[in-house]
Amino acid sequence: MSLVYNVPFVSIFLSILIAVLCTLFKNGRNAQRLTFALWIGVAVGSAMLLSTLMFNGGTSFTYAAGHYPAPWGNELRAGPLEALFALVYSIVMLLSLSGGAEHTFEDVVEEKVSLYYTVMNLLFAGMLALIYTNDIFTSYVFIEISTIAACSIIMAKGEGESLLESMRYLIMYLIGSTMFLFGVVILYSITGHLLMEFLQKEIVALWMSGEYQLPLAASLALMLIGLCIKTAIFPFHSILPGAHGSATTASSAVLSGLLLESYVILIIKIFYRVFTPEIIASYHVYDIMFAFGIIAMLLGSYYALKEDDIKRMLAYSSAAQMGYIFVAIGIGTNAGAVAACLHIITHAFTKAMLFTTSGALIGVSGHSRDFYDLRGAAHRDRLAGIGFTIGAISMIGVPLLACFVSKLYIAIASLIYPP
Amino acid sequence: MNGSWMIFIPVIAPFLAGFVLSQLRFEERRKREIYCTISVGVNTLLSLLMISLFRGEYVTLVRFTEKLSFSLRIDGFGAVFGTMVALLWFVTTIYAFEYMKHEGRENIFFSFFLMSYGVVMGIAFSANLMTLYIFYEMLTLFTFPLVIHAMGARDRHAGKLYLVYSMLGAALAFMGLIFVHQYGYSLDFTPGGVLNLELIGEKTELLQLIFVMTFFGFGVKAAVFPFWKWLPGASVAPTPVTALLHAVAVVKSGVFAVGRSIYFIFGSSFLAGTWAQDVTMLFAAITIVMGSAMALATPHFKRRLAYSTISNLSYILFAFTLMSPAGFVAGTLHMLAHAVIKITLFFCAGAVLYKTSREFIWQLDGMGRKMPIVFGCFTICSLGLMGVPPLAGFSSKWAIGVAAAACDSPMAIVGTAALIISALLTACYLFAVILRAYFPLNGFDYNSLAKVKDPNWLMTVPLVVLTGASLVLAAGMSPLSQWLATVAAGL
Amino acid sequence: MASGLLVIALFLPLFTGLTAGDMRKAGRTFRRYIVWLLSFEVLAVLALVIGGQGTVLPLLKVAGGLQLVLRVDAMGSLFAVVFSIIWLLVAVFGFEYMAHEGKSQRFYLFYICTLSALIGVCFAANMATLYMFFEMMALLTVPLIIHSGTEDSYMATLKYLGYSIFGAGLGLLGIFFLAPYGGIGSFVAGGNLDPALLAGHEELALAMYFVAIIGFGCKAGLLPLHAWLPTAHPVAPSPASAVLSGIITKAGVLAILRMTYFVFPAELLRGSWVQAALLILAICTVFTGSMLAYKEKLLKRRLAYSTVSQVSYVLFGIFLLHPVALLGALLQFIYHALAKNILFLSAGAIIMKTHHTTVDKFSGLGRRMPLMMGAFTVASLSLVGIPPCGGFVSKWYLCVGALDSATPLIGMVGMVVLMVSALLTAGYLLPLVIAAFFPGRDVEVKRDLLPESMSVPLVILALLVVCLGLGAGWLAQPLNAIVATLFA
Repeated sequence: MSLVYNVPFVSIFLSILIAVLCTLFKNGRNAQRLTFALWIGVAVGSAMLLSTLMFNGGTSFTYAAGHYPAPWGNELRAGPLEALFALVYSIVMLLSLSGGAEHTFEDVVEEKVSLYYTVMNLLFAGMLALIYTNDIFTSYVFIEISTIAACSIIMAKGEGESLLESMRYLIMYLIGSTMFLFGVVILYSITGHLLMEFLQKEIVALWMSGEYQLPLAASLALMLIGLCIKTAIFPFHSILPGAHGSATTASSAVLSGLLLESYVILIIKIFYRVFTPEIIASYHVYDIMFAFGIIAMLLGSYYALKEDDIKRMLAYSSAAQMGYIFVAIGIGTNAGAVAACLHIITHAFTKAMLFTTSGALIGVSGHSRDFYDLRGAAHRDRLAGIGFTIGAISMIGVPLLACFVSKLYIAIASLIYPP
Repeated sequence: MNGSWMIFIPVIAPFLAGFVLSQLRFEERRKREIYCTISVGVNTLLSLLMISLFRGEYVTLVRFTEKLSFSLRIDGFGAVFGTMVALLWFVTTIYAFEYMKHEGRENIFFSFFLMSYGVVMGIAFSANLMTLYIFYEMLTLFTFPLVIHAMGARDRHAGKLYLVYSMLGAALAFMGLIFVHQYGYSLDFTPGGVLNLELIGEKTELLQLIFVMTFFGFGVKAAVFPFWKWLPGASVAPTPVTALLHAVAVVKSGVFAVGRSIYFIFGSSFLAGTWAQDVTMLFAAITIVMGSAMALATPHFKRRLAYSTISNLSYILFAFTLMSPAGFVAGTLHMLAHAVIKITLFFCAGAVLYKTSREFIWQLDGMGRKMPIVFGCFTICSLGLMGVPPLAGFSSKWAIGVAAAACDSPMAIVGTAALIISALLTACYLFAVILRAYFPLNGFDYNSLAKVKDPNWLMTVPLVVLTGASLVLAAGMSPLSQWLATVAAGL
Repeated sequence: MASGLLVIALFLPLFTGLTAGDMRKAGRTFRRYIVWLLSFEVLAVLALVIGGQGTVLPLLKVAGGLQLVLRVDAMGSLFAVVFSIIWLLVAVFGFEYMAHEGKSQRFYLFYICTLSALIGVCFAANMATLYMFFEMMALLTVPLIIHSGTEDSYMATLKYLGYSIFGAGLGLLGIFFLAPYGGIGSFVAGGNLDPALLAGHEELALAMYFVAIIGFGCKAGLLPLHAWLPTAHPVAPSPASAVLSGIITKAGVLAILRMTYFVFPAELLRGSWVQAALLILAICTVFTGSMLAYKEKLLKRRLAYSTVSQVSYVLFGIFLLHPVALLGALLQFIYHALAKNILFLSAGAIIMKTHHTTVDKFSGLGRRMPLMMGAFTVASLSLVGIPPCGGFVSKWYLCVGALDSATPLIGMVGMVVLMVSALLTAGYLLPLVIAAFFPGRDVEVKRDLLPESMSVPLVILALLVVCLGLGAGWLAQPLNAIVATLFA
């Protein structure tokens, strides 16, 4: 095993470490520099890992943490997909935070800026863990970590609205986490395993034998609903506009572009690594996801159209885009899952870009988020205007830009599925 | 590599030229005019050169997947459209110089003007449906700033309407793209269509429905009922834009895309005789009559011409939906004839607007004598549009009528009847202008028009050249239709 | 040589009109120029007709395998001769009249150019060429109607235009649908449709024929598209009304003739529903026209309705598809052309001199302008059908043909209607004549002769009516020759 295979574990470990280190900094700028350095490092490492894995024919490897053998120890699992996600996440985090840096320093109280970066690092660690983990309880742990981190970055602004929203956010997210936990517990009790491969074997055996059908279904339902609450799919989307709308620029970008998606990644992993796609299909989960995805697409867009506040509009747009991803997964084929992953990546970049540029536009319009006040903003900050335009055009799905490709793949995938 | 990659140049060069212009920001008008003339002129020459040299070569810039690529290829149909666009763009540029003097902010206008040129050439030269779709979306984006140029409330509203309709059309066309991707051998334009009939099997109804959606998707740009509302609204734009939009670039791109869909993607043999043909023919027929009727009802000069465009575009769509080689030839002939004629008519209206700020029909009394060149050209081209033999519009309408008569569908009779009714309405709404201009009622005071005269050469020369072109076209209709028949033979 | 004559005959009026219309003053040079050139035109046409039968002149190749061709044949020659002679005479009349109206140059520009279009219509070798010149003719006559520049004339012009285009459009529709069966080939006496191609599509072809006839019939004043006539005639200057009624309507008749005898095979039409329908339409038009004329008080509109009625005599004869009836129709065409022109020109003279436009102001006109009223009387007699004026012979042949035709029942009805119409015609024309010559004791009228340029054409036309009426038998011979080729 060459050194590069340590990257997944090291990324997570370093993130937590640097999170702790950041608390020691008095000056926010230093915390920022350290964090950025970390993320650049993670990005580079992930890129190297990705290329290595691709050269090796695209296989994945498992990484036993702590030298405890399976099935009792903890494991990470990294394949090209995970490495790619990690790369994307680190780049987007970097860009979002640097894009929103000015606002971070404006919005957050000066003493607390380093704490902000601490929390960001924790969030990053959580998301990476969700990407890499091979153990279901670990995923719960990091779900909790990311939840708390997410709430923190929402209320970093310290204003009335963001405090209120972060409270609502916290409540919803904790409900989701709890449901997820119950699901994990039930699963553990009927299978006795926490590592995903072993879980899968057991689940398949149970499925074939016909025992414990109800608990199995219940655990799936609980885990799924719990995660769905966190992805803000219809009907759980109401927290989005408030939370993402009122947070500071960098927070909104990260929350919308990365956090929601990481739960979807976990869902995909559960579908493919814990339960098998066939089992999922037999529970008609795909159809349900498909239906909710479509509703989310339409309703999210509808609400977005009605908005006058730019950040709330973008938040609703995220809800709609989550719908796209759910639709893609809901097709039920591998092609659909591939399309969903592609859309996760393109959406991450695009939504982060939109939030960052809109933040800049808001900045030159007297800190007002209202459309009326934003008129002419692009002339005041030309780069932001162009950026927003490009992001918007991409989000619409105009060819030659990112989201078109992912939408194309979703559409093609939907046709390949034999009706 | 034998140099056929060069067909990308006339497509990409205008983008560069436009972008450069937006950065250079000429202060002096003269410099800008020279720059634009050279850019457009060179590009026109290059386009014509490419058309004559590299017919049939398939050139790929980017290959996304096995079926999806960004490629160009010049075939007969593309050659016709490309030539038309290239020549008309040049004439419009000359006209636009004079006209835009009054409008202002010419740098940004001409930047997008140049870039739109590249996009339309891209549409003409597209080799497959994917490339066409890409350029189609880009067309909306790059012509949007031209529509809202004047930046008033009216213009912004028109622009918004334009965007919404265009995006809707693109969404429908996207569905077509996806289904053809799935059920076709490839997305490349092939005479006779690319559908994989074994794969489709029982699902022919579905594919026909998809065709209808594609028709309406591309048809939005061609202002087919019920998606026509954006066109009259967009006539608030400066006249070079409306002339270009309504005669050459946007609307003809829509029609061109529909033609590509019918004959080169879905295939006329797949569609002929189906309910899909009847539906699309019906809507084309409805648009033909509705456009003419609304033209008659509108007293606003440019908007009248806009409605007339809506009607005439559906002549072309009707001809295409006949799903026969004869229909293809007839539609293409009318595409050419109408482009030249309508651009001239818009230029005349623009000249009147520019010189006298008069927008409405009733303000045109007696102008015929005061602006002889403008109204002379208007009369000749109006007669052409009405279909008076032996002018250009007659030959194309004749071809459409004969092709319709040869078609088995009963809808074809409906369509031909629509054509006749529309001809009547066309005569009425065009003659209303001509009569007023040349035969004002008794007691008309010519002194009220004391200061009115023809605009300067920058505007009149294009007018005369275009009128002459319509006459040349009229004379050349027969050999042109024969050549087109050979192109159509592969269909 | 002959094709050169054809080119001259076609383009000379165009040239004349454009150059005359360009002249600054409508003085003596203007008039002389027009008279000379139009006379030359008449001579050219006569020479062509006598010496150049069968000359072919291809003009232009239009899309879709369409060739625009001119050809000199007997039927076309007949129409061309009548048109050009009358055109000259009316032009001469118009000099004084238009001098009073104003803007002579503009009027003559379009008036003379229309003759070119008419020559084209006469000598068209196929339906497409005929359609082209038909449209040109319609467009060139538009400025004649709007000439006076009043609000009424404007509305009348639009109505005329609308009807013309729509009618021509219907004709075109018919042509489109007959094209696949050979309908756009050169005219052949007896029909040029290919029976092999036609087989199985007869119903459609008949329906399209019907549509086309309705369309071209608009110009000929056939119900239901006749309404432009009573609107356009009163507003146009009298020379224009004269040729509109007398000549332009006959262009529509020619189009119908070509369609019926030179495109369609007679066997297909004879006895079909189309023939019955068209005959009934013609009969209705005859009756309606006369009735409306009888009730009309405005002189020019009365004459317009009269035209509607009289031209449908011709159409009646055409639709009977019988040689004798056709002979009657052709004779009626000649006589009506002459007579109606006289009537309208007289009306023009009356309006110019007395400024009255209604029919109750005829008292004593016979004494005031004897030559004019004399011509008027002759024309009226011809229209009613009283020998020795021409109308009698034509009506006679029409009735004979009606009874002998394939549809004797309709023929009989037609005959009756013709009689009734004759009575009505007498009713709406003769009282005018009587009032003119016998105004009663208490009316004092002085002589007030028309200028020569106006009375001479009237006299010539009247003489023609009488001579051709007396010499009907002599006239019938060449006409019979034409008819015979169609029923071979």
